[in-house]
Formats: sequence, C-alpha cells, structure tokens
Amino acid sequence: MAGVRLQHLVKRFPDGSTAVSGLTLDVQAGEFLVLVGPSGCGKTTALRMIAGLEVPTMGRVLIGEQDVTDLPPGDRDVAMVFQNYALYPHFTVQENIEFPLRMRKVVATERARRAREVAESLGIAPYLARRPAELSGGQRQRVALARALVREPAVFLFDEPLSNLDAQVRAATRAELVRLHRRLGITIIHVTHDQVEAMSMAQRVAVMHEGRLEQCAPPMEVYGTPATLFTAQFVGSPLVNTISGRVDGSGGRQVFTGPLVVPVHATPGDATLAVRPEHLRLGPAEGAPEATIVLVEPLGAETIVHLALHDGTELRARLPGNSTMEAGAVVQVSVDPMQALVFDAAGRLAGRGRG
Amino acid sequence: MMTDRRAVRWGLLLSAIWLAGALLVSYRVGAAAENALAVQEARSVGESFDATQRPARTATRYVPVAGPIQQVVRVMTRLVGPAAERMREEERVLVWRTLRERYISVPVKDADAWDIVGAVVVAANPVSIPWIVWLAVFGSGLLAAALLRRGMRLAATDRETAPYYLVADGIAVLAIGTAVSALLLRGHLEDIALRLPEVTAQTRFDPMVLTLPNGRVVALLLAGLWAVCTVGLVGVAWLASPRQSVATRRTARTAWAFLAPSALHLLCFTLGPLAFTAWLSVHRWDLLEIDRPFIGLANYAELVRDPLFWKALRNTALYSLYVPVTMVLALGAAVLLNQPLRGIRVLRAMVFLPAIVSYVAIAMVWQWIYHADYGLLNHVLRSLGASGHDWLGDPATALPALMVVSVWVQLGYQMVVYLAGLQGVPATLLEAARLDGANAWTRFWQVTVPLLRPVSLYLLVTGIIWSFQVFALVYVMTEGGPTRATDVLVYQIYQNAWEFRRMGYASALSWVLFALLVGLTLLQWRLLNKRVEHAA
Repeated sequence: MAGVRLQHLVKRFPDGSTAVSGLTLDVQAGEFLVLVGPSGCGKTTALRMIAGLEVPTMGRVLIGEQDVTDLPPGDRDVAMVFQNYALYPHFTVQENIEFPLRMRKVVATERARRAREVAESLGIAPYLARRPAELSGGQRQRVALARALVREPAVFLFDEPLSNLDAQVRAATRAELVRLHRRLGITIIHVTHDQVEAMSMAQRVAVMHEGRLEQCAPPMEVYGTPATLFTAQFVGSPLVNTISGRVDGSGGRQVFTGPLVVPVHATPGDATLAVRPEHLRLGPAEGAPEATIVLVEPLGAETIVHLALHDGTELRARLPGNSTMEAGAVVQVSVDPMQALVFDAAGRLAGRGRG
Repeated sequence: MMTDRRAVRWGLLLSAIWLAGALLVSYRVGAAAENALAVQEARSVGESFDATQRPARTATRYVPVAGPIQQVVRVMTRLVGPAAERMREEERVLVWRTLRERYISVPVKDADAWDIVGAVVVAANPVSIPWIVWLAVFGSGLLAAALLRRGMRLAATDRETAPYYLVADGIAVLAIGTAVSALLLRGHLEDIALRLPEVTAQTRFDPMVLTLPNGRVVALLLAGLWAVCTVGLVGVAWLASPRQSVATRRTARTAWAFLAPSALHLLCFTLGPLAFTAWLSVHRWDLLEIDRPFIGLANYAELVRDPLFWKALRNTALYSLYVPVTMVLALGAAVLLNQPLRGIRVLRAMVFLPAIVSYVAIAMVWQWIYHADYGLLNHVLRSLGASGHDWLGDPATALPALMVVSVWVQLGYQMVVYLAGLQGVPATLLEAARLDGANAWTRFWQVTVPLLRPVSLYLLVTGIIWSFQVFALVYVMTEGGPTRATDVLVYQIYQNAWEFRRMGYASALSWVLFALLVGLTLLQWRLLNKRVEHAA
C-alpha cells in the first residue's frame, strides 16, 4: 500500500485546451478517495496522469516516496478499472485475470492459483472458462476488478467503473466496493461524476472544477461546509438554495440583506446566501417574506416543495413526507440562520449565519 | 386454431397444383413414348412401301403394347402435287394432335429416294397414369402441407421472423416437389427406354424430331412450376397474414422493390449464365455447329484424367500463396501508416494506388520491368554487377514473378482494410495492456493481432477467392507459359472455350472452379460467424 502525491499537475493538450491546471493532492495510503466533478473538469485526465497514460505538461506524480512522473504505466505498480472494463475479448475470464501476472513472468501454477483465489473472493469463479462477451455487465465489472486485484498493486484507479451498470447493480456494487476497501485496506482513487457515489463511498471527496481542486475533505464536511459556491451547488440534491444580496454592517452585527434578511458573521460586500433545502422553514414567522408554492413533489419519505419569492428567486424546501402543501398557496419562508452559508462575490466561503 | 386451418387449406391447394403439374408431366412423358413407338411404326411401313404399287387408301393395324400405350393406328395416303412439295425431307416426321389423339406422319419416298410420293400417318392414344404417381403426388402434397403448417405455427409465435420461416419452408417444399418430380420422371423415362431401346437412344434428345419434351426440359418446366407455385403461396400467405402490420408489409414491399433491380440483374447475368454453363458442361459444343449432343458427365471424366487440369489447379493453388504474404506486408504497412504523421494521407494514397489501376496496364508495365533484355529489373541488377535473368521466360521464375506483381497490386487494398481494422481496436484495451505491463511488442501480438482476426480471415479468404480467378495477369504477361508454368484455371477455361472451341469442357472446368469457390465462401462464413466481439 502506498499513498499518492500530486504536485502542481498541469495538463495542456496539443490543441491548446487545458484539462488540469495546477492540481495538488495528497492521497493517504489505504485511503478511499473519490475524485468528483462535472464532465470536462479534468478528473479523468488527472487519473490518467497518475496511471501514466498521459504525460503531465508540468508537475510531479509521486507514489509512495517514488517519483513516477517519467515511468511507463506498467512500471508504476498501479492498476486501473476502466469505464467499459476493457476486458480482452479474445481471452477467457481466467486468461484476462492472469494477463498482468503473465506480463510479470509469474509461473503458470502460481498464476492459476492467484487468479482462482481472486475470482473466488469476487464470486466469479464459475465463469473462469467463459469469454467476456458471455457475461453480464456486473460480472464483467467484477472480472475487471479481479484483473486489477490479482496484481496486488500499490494503488487502484477506478475510472467511472459503475456508470455502465444499471441502477440496482450499481447500488449493490457501490456497497461491495466499500466493503472490499475495508477488507483489503487498499488505496483507491475513484473517479466519478455522480455526487451520490462520491458521498456514499469516499473517505474523502475531492471536488474538481475546470481543472482545479475546489475542495478535498470528508463527505459530510464537503456537504456541510463547502469551501466554494460551486461545491455547495455540485453536492446535494435537490440543488442548494442560493439568494443574492449584500452583507452590511461591522463588528459582530453584520446582516445579509436580500429577499431574505439573515444575521451573519461574514466580510461585508456583495454576497450569495446558500441554504440547503432541509434548512428552509415554511410557515408563519415574524417579518418573513412570502413565497408562492409553484410545485409540490411528494417522494414518499419526503416532499420537495418548489417556491418563488416575489422578486423571482426560486427556492426548494425539503419537508417530511406527510406534509400537506398545495401548489398556488402562499406561505412565509424563513431560514435556520445557523445553517446558512455566505459566499463572497468570487464564490468563496465568507462566513455563516449567526443565531 | 386459425393458423392450422389456413395451413391445411394451403396444403390442399398446394397438393392440387402439384397434382395438376404431375398429371401434365405424366401425360407429356407418356406421349413421348407413344410418339417414339408411332415413328418407329411409320418408318417401318414407309421403308417397305413400294412406290410403284398403288397403296391402299387406308389401312389400320392394332399394335398390342403393354402399359399406357394401347394402340397404334396406321394410315397410308398417297401425296400428290403441292402436298408432296410441301413435305420436305427435313420434315420427315410431322406431329399434330387433337385433344384425345396425336397423329404422326412420315413421308414415303420413291424407289430412287428422290420424290416424296406418300406418307404414313400413325395415330396414338393418350396414356394412363400409374398408381405410383398418384401415391407420390399425395405423399409430397401431405409433406408440403405439414411443412407449411409448421412454418405458420412458428411464424405465429414470432412476428418479426415470420417471413423467413415461410420462405424457408417454401424452399423446403420446393425442394421436395422438385425431387419427387425428378424421381418420377426418371422412372418414367427408364420405363420408356426399356420398351423402346433403339428409338429412345436415337431420338430421346432430339426434340426437333419428336417435338416432345425430354428429361431436362420437363425437369426445368417442373422446377419452374414449383418455384412459381411456392413463391406465390408464400407471398400470398405472407401478405394475407393478419399478424403483419400494415407498416411492416409496406416496409417489406419497399424493400423488395429496392431489391428487384439487383435481383433481376443477378438472375440475368449470374444465375442465368450459371445454369447455361451447367447445361453446357454435359454437352459437346464447338461453337460452330448447331448440334450440341448430350454426353453426360464425359467432360468431367475427361477433366479428372487431364494432366493439364491438374497442372493448372496446382499452379492456381501455388499462386494463391501470395495472399498470406501480402497480408503480412499489409499489416506491417498498416501499422507503420497508422502513425499520426504529417503527409501520412499522401503516403497511404500512394500505397493504395495500384489497387485502382487496370490490371492490363499493370501487367504491361511489369512485363517491361521483367523483360530479359531491356527490362528495368535486369538493368538494375546488371548495374549492381549481378547477371540478368529472363524472369518470365524461365518456368522456375515465371509464376513467382506473377505473384510478386499480385502482392504489389493487393498490398494497398489489404493495407486499407487493416487500417480500418486497426482503428476499430479499442484504445482502452491497449491502455489496459500498458497498465498490465505489456510492452509494445506484446501489445501488438497479444491484443492487436487477435482483435484483427476477423479482418485477417476476411482478407485471407476473399484474397484466395480472388486469386483463384486470376486471368488478366496471365493472359497479358505469359499466356500460361512457359511450358504451362503459369497455366491457371481461368486461363485454361478461356483457352478451351475460345481457342480450342470446347465449350462443354470449358463449362465443366468453370463448374469445378465454381465448386471450389463456393466451398471457400462457405468456409469463410463458418469461420467469420465465430467473430471476435469488440464490444466486450
């Protein structure tokens, strides 16, 4: 097991576009880190640079204490699971799993033993003699995983390995990957665009946006204290409520003024107030503005209510499943000041609400 | 069940049509026997007739014959004036018929065999149908009904493939019908041959004399009848089937409309000539005479004994070895030209160029290159201090020299196909192999080459099929020489047909080549069906 250190990684493509601009990231040995972001944010390019499939324009990649920036992929002791699994269609499952060992000149009996061991631990031993085309998506995914595991590499790289699975299998595989990580204590860097995947699997989530790292923190911290407005908006569903306004005042008496007025601790200036849907309160409150209910989405366990303030600001509130709300009704809207976040004009966290 | 009842109805209808066809055939075949008998009778009367003697106005004689032919009526008349003029020697046998009877007249000549002085007219009765025919007809009708019923059942369970089931069963029914007809016909003809040995031997294949169908005509008629019936039945069943939605039917009709021109073309210019050469291959024909006597399988027997044929086959097989050689070079070239370099397109086009140039032009250029005295190759060799060689004049080097030209021509085409194949190899597979620790060489042999297997197979088999059809190179460069060292199958076909005017033999050769190519094509199908799936 080894950690991975990325130092000021830059990747510029020949066509002039920049995929990754100055990424610095420390992955601890044995950590499950999820690299998440919208498509085109550079997360896959970053992963490919760790794998050695792309050469960084600038910066270094370290695995353990070794600088591997100039090493070919095969010499880096990393294994990768691809989105489309990249199984060799002309080999059987067994030959697929044994391939990395064969390349490392492991003797045949040892190869067969280790392939069978891994296959048994992943429940694919009955399919060893089949070809990939004869397997289901979930089974292929396990074969790809087995091919990565059998080498016992220092680092595992997962490039959206769950996105080709259907929803049910995906949920099951998610839990299984977490269990596997706990059992083996391996270092995993998992790339995905799915924030649910990131939140549910990661020990730490690294959010990337336009080639930069927005925040790298445990999932609940990313959710509760997002470092940037982008992160606040990217993580969490339904979308976080954002209200434009200003922070005025000084000392301990600043107030956010906009469609809603909230006492805050924050640097004065133009600001955006971000409130999670579950921290929005609907109902009579003194001095609270009124909003019209636009749409009610009962989801069973909870009900999502879409509202519009008089100035047109759209809000979403998450209420218990038994709430009775009617579209067209007018309600007063207030926020829990302790849970409100204030972001400055540049989108950086500038403070929070106060009680 | 609805479909069951309809299937039975179709089966009955098919049996009825089949029965009518069989009756017609029996009638025609029986008539052949009668006529043969009648002609024999008329001739014997005519030959013994003394022209000076005044013939009786009419004379009737009953000839007892076993089987369907019951009687032969002999009528003698004296022909005078215009009637005798009209009756030319070639028309020594005239046949006319009423609904129930047929008359055959044979001219009678005078003593010095110059003037036609009379005619013998023979009448014959229609024939009865043997019980075995009835049995066969009903049997095959039932079988056809059962097959159609099965097809309908299968079609009912699967709407999409219904037409295919129907067509497949239609073909099966057609095959059964044709086989039964052929069997019946053969039995009948053998029966006639037994009864009328001499006449049959001389006149069986002379339709101008007997105006009657012989075996092949009847067989063709029957097969045609069956084809029309079956296609009609299947078409009606398919179109009438309520399972088919209007849109599906319209799509199918449109598809057929688009297919029709090429189908027609295929029929006229491929299947037609194919059938004609099949017919020619059992006949002898020297192109100049109208007469094309049937000689059975004699052409094929001669072919098997002909050392020249075996020599040509051997040369063709040897020649086709250029295909794997080209493939290795083409794969190498494709890998080299798959690099993203500047001007790579121009280079690719240059390598591909020979594939689009006329073979005759290529052959003439290479003929000059290989020329013993002022060829480019020998010029270069001599300037390097080596001695020249008569490449095309030496039996040992002529065929390899042709193979080199073929490699040069085919290289570009095969390279383009391999390039397309290379671009179809998923990049992630090669990346996965890199991560697994495979070097470039291993990646090529362990990933790229196995994934190119379908492409290689395609190139190998189509290449060999093409190589078996080589002609232009041989015709222009060596004319099969020296000492037949470059005599290949197609060149031998050409020579036999147009130089030796042995059309029948050439047709037999063509069919041997055709059989070889069909075999190769089937092999390719089987191998390619086990194709490697890229989308793993």
